[in-house]
Amino acid sequence: MYIAETEKSVKNIVVDDMILTTDMATSAGSRMLDGYISLFEAEAVTKLTEAGYKVYAKANTGEFNLDLMGETSFYGPVEADGVLTTAAAQAVKSGDAMAAVTLEVNGSSARGAALAGLTFVKPTYGTVSRFGTIPAVCSGETVCVTAADAATAKEVLWTIKGHSDKDGTSLPQEKCVFDEVKEIKKVAVAKSLMVGEGAAKVEEMKAKLSAQGIEVVEIDGEELLLAKSAWNILMSAELCNNVSKYDGVKYGYRTPNYETIDQLYTNSRTEAFGYLTKSVVLFGSETLSEDNYFKVYDKAQRIRRVICEALAKVFGEFDAILAPVSSKLSYTAEEAIANPYIAYEESLYIAPAMISGVPAVVTDGVQLVGPAFSESSLLALAEKL
Amino acid sequence: MDIKTLERLQKLNQLKLTEEETEKLMAFFETAGKDAEILDTVNTENVERMVYVMPMTNIIREDIAKKLFTRDQLQEQAPEAMDGYWQVPRLVD
Amino acid sequence: MKYETVIGLEVHVELATKSKIFCSCSAEFGGEQNDHVCPACAGMPGMLPIVNKKVVDLGMTAGMMLNCDINRVTTFDKKSYYYPDLPNAYQTTQWFAPICVNGRVDIETSNGPKSIRIKQIHMEEDAGKLVHDDWTDTTLVDFNRTSVPLIEIVSQPDISSAEEAIAYLERLRDLLRFAKVSDCRWEQGSMRCDVNLSVRPVGSDKLGVRSEMKNMNSLSAISRAIKYEIARHTKAVENGETLIQDTRRWDDNEGKSYAMRSKETAGDYRYFPDPNIMPVVIDDEWFDGIKATLPELPEVKRAKYIDELGLSEYDADQLVSSRALCDVFEDAVAVCGSAKEAANWIITDCMQVLNKKKMTADMLDINGTSLGQLIKLVSEDKVSRGNAKRILAAMFENHIADVEAYAKEFGFIVSNDTSAIEAIVKEAIASDPKSVADFKAGKEKALMALFGKCMKQLKGNANPQVLREILIAEINKA
Repeated sequence: MYIAETEKSVKNIVVDDMILTTDMATSAGSRMLDGYISLFEAEAVTKLTEAGYKVYAKANTGEFNLDLMGETSFYGPVEADGVLTTAAAQAVKSGDAMAAVTLEVNGSSARGAALAGLTFVKPTYGTVSRFGTIPAVCSGETVCVTAADAATAKEVLWTIKGHSDKDGTSLPQEKCVFDEVKEIKKVAVAKSLMVGEGAAKVEEMKAKLSAQGIEVVEIDGEELLLAKSAWNILMSAELCNNVSKYDGVKYGYRTPNYETIDQLYTNSRTEAFGYLTKSVVLFGSETLSEDNYFKVYDKAQRIRRVICEALAKVFGEFDAILAPVSSKLSYTAEEAIANPYIAYEESLYIAPAMISGVPAVVTDGVQLVGPAFSESSLLALAEKL
Repeated sequence: MDIKTLERLQKLNQLKLTEEETEKLMAFFETAGKDAEILDTVNTENVERMVYVMPMTNIIREDIAKKLFTRDQLQEQAPEAMDGYWQVPRLVD
Repeated sequence: MKYETVIGLEVHVELATKSKIFCSCSAEFGGEQNDHVCPACAGMPGMLPIVNKKVVDLGMTAGMMLNCDINRVTTFDKKSYYYPDLPNAYQTTQWFAPICVNGRVDIETSNGPKSIRIKQIHMEEDAGKLVHDDWTDTTLVDFNRTSVPLIEIVSQPDISSAEEAIAYLERLRDLLRFAKVSDCRWEQGSMRCDVNLSVRPVGSDKLGVRSEMKNMNSLSAISRAIKYEIARHTKAVENGETLIQDTRRWDDNEGKSYAMRSKETAGDYRYFPDPNIMPVVIDDEWFDGIKATLPELPEVKRAKYIDELGLSEYDADQLVSSRALCDVFEDAVAVCGSAKEAANWIITDCMQVLNKKKMTADMLDINGTSLGQLIKLVSEDKVSRGNAKRILAAMFENHIADVEAYAKEFGFIVSNDTSAIEAIVKEAIASDPKSVADFKAGKEKALMALFGKCMKQLKGNANPQVLREILIAEINKA
């Protein structure tokens, strides 16, 4: 499952363990899908292959890509120089891959790129087809690109973008691929997100932006704090539903310990899922229960609109929001594993873009979040920096 | 969050936690429950729920049947299959 | 004390589509186990649902036939539970905004006319099939029916007897078959029914404790089960016993219902909107387009056939038993102009062919216009009745656009060339002097033998009257 050893090539692309390939196993970092070979491949893989890139390896992820940076993987975490990183970021950083294409579910790709000093782009929701990705949080998850620099990230992203009639959330072609670049002149820093060590990186970036003649203004951004709470609820509910299909009947892990169908279900799932997945499933299930649906889940869906409207207001005045990506600038695998709910806390930073589907670009350890369809503008700025 | 609810949730989701895990999860539910409390403070009476971040309508297809894969291909990774069926323990009822 | 029964029915009807509701697998009935399955309907990750337009068309059609309001914005939701016939462990259905609401079905029973209100109709996917294997003592799973499109028609609790339930179901079946929404075949499971029943003292406005019988698949079983449950509930209420709300299985062989193992978790289906399926918005153009395809109701056609076309009640009843027969009939009459002849050809000749093929009336798939041409050729004495039957048989195999050209090509046109007939008649007389002598001696039957020989020689292509006249004339000359 780790990155295969092949000859280095400028056209090598690594895809993560949430993206289906037919010649390599796709396991979602889970014992449940250990060795699972899909009968079909992801639309992104097809597009890359057709454009002459080589999808040469699969990068390990945490189970269903829910965690901080891969620490919950059935295959174990990846560390570089004693700190936790993602396998995708490591493949790019080492130069083995020109870029990594990953399914961003809960922020691990953004964090992996930020902490490795790479460029990462999460495009507008619906501009890259999710056909052939392992569903986890369908209303927000997005196929993303990590590369050493903004130009490469853009090249690869523009290769995989495009309408797909096999994905009911895929936007029309003219909305997927566009070249319009709007110069970024005014950037907001939300005080609400300026907590933790990541804030120091934002301060560095502020200086760089000012040097470029870009105006940086502090705003309160109180509504953005709601994003974390709403996202954690929506993410858990959808994940619960999406992983219910893994039950030991059709494919994947089946427990040897069963006599009845309920034992087959329960023991297969209990033995194959890690603790984080189990927690998310149980919490998500509760948010959807008859008693809680309107109080919790439906409420979170309404808050999603509140956040989108708040973002729209900010983007009416500013071209982008500058924010940290994580609360710390490095983590060890040990500390991530010791706190199984660390991703629920760290979602503070990634939730605004995840819950609203707007694009985000990570560069120099910080993220720039822009309005829908602004990824080319954000990447152009990242390239300039 | 009480033990009974947690037990019902485990049954509903076909999972079984150890005692230690159950205790840890109780604490988590307390924390995660705060997310719900935070949202509760916002008045959303006149806010419509948002299911789709990039809403569209009528993404539909024509009624044309196609065969993508054979049964053998689909059952290649089946834990147990017999005579072209997936196989599970005998169900009562 | 007197008691009354309160019944609500949930009817599942599989829609007449070629493909499944969210994937492109065949929705055809039958096939080898798991032959109509793809990764999506086998619960494998990575494929995304795309709604089949025809499902919405038929859902709307059903709603219009049942006098419903159509929700112009309709959405899909997920319902979660574990069962081996449900490969995704969730069923995609409609919970928050079903396609149709507030309908009505009018029925007629021995107590007179009554309206049964429809609460809603929603679109959803069917589950797979489980087969219990005694040899291995395991359950075998077949996903061919998984994701086949269904509508569920939920009635209000307006039904108060087995007779009303049957009348409602028969009417529902007639209307849906007539509108080509479904073939509604109980024996193939394309029509199924859940019965919710309770009993309460007459005049009480509080409902009694309810029992639900799931997956009933024949009218006789439903009738028997309702009568059994009414007796069971009434007895319990009379004796002051406390009934428990339960789900029951009807054993038609034993004539008894049994409580099913109650699932502690049942009821918490955790419905939520499917973010992968965008809302379906029905604009006026779509709505009106479907409205325009609605058929006349069977009773309207029946009256028209009798009053305007002069058919007998028997013929009209036969035709309106199936929309396919009506369609062929109406097209044929438009060409041949004779309703009586067209009805005969369909009720007698077409049904004969269908029976031989072990097909039902609904499966009649010949072109009515072609049948009309054929009837016209027979009435104009251009094709004999015997040969017309051969042409009809050919119509069941291939579409024949120009029946006269076809008849010419295959030598089925009646000859008016009397010299050719005379030559054959002379030959027949010469080769069979005995029949000639018998006829002359007064044996009428002998003429039939000669007639048959000549007709065979002429491949049936002679006007029988003309042949008969020439035959008698030539015998008299001989």
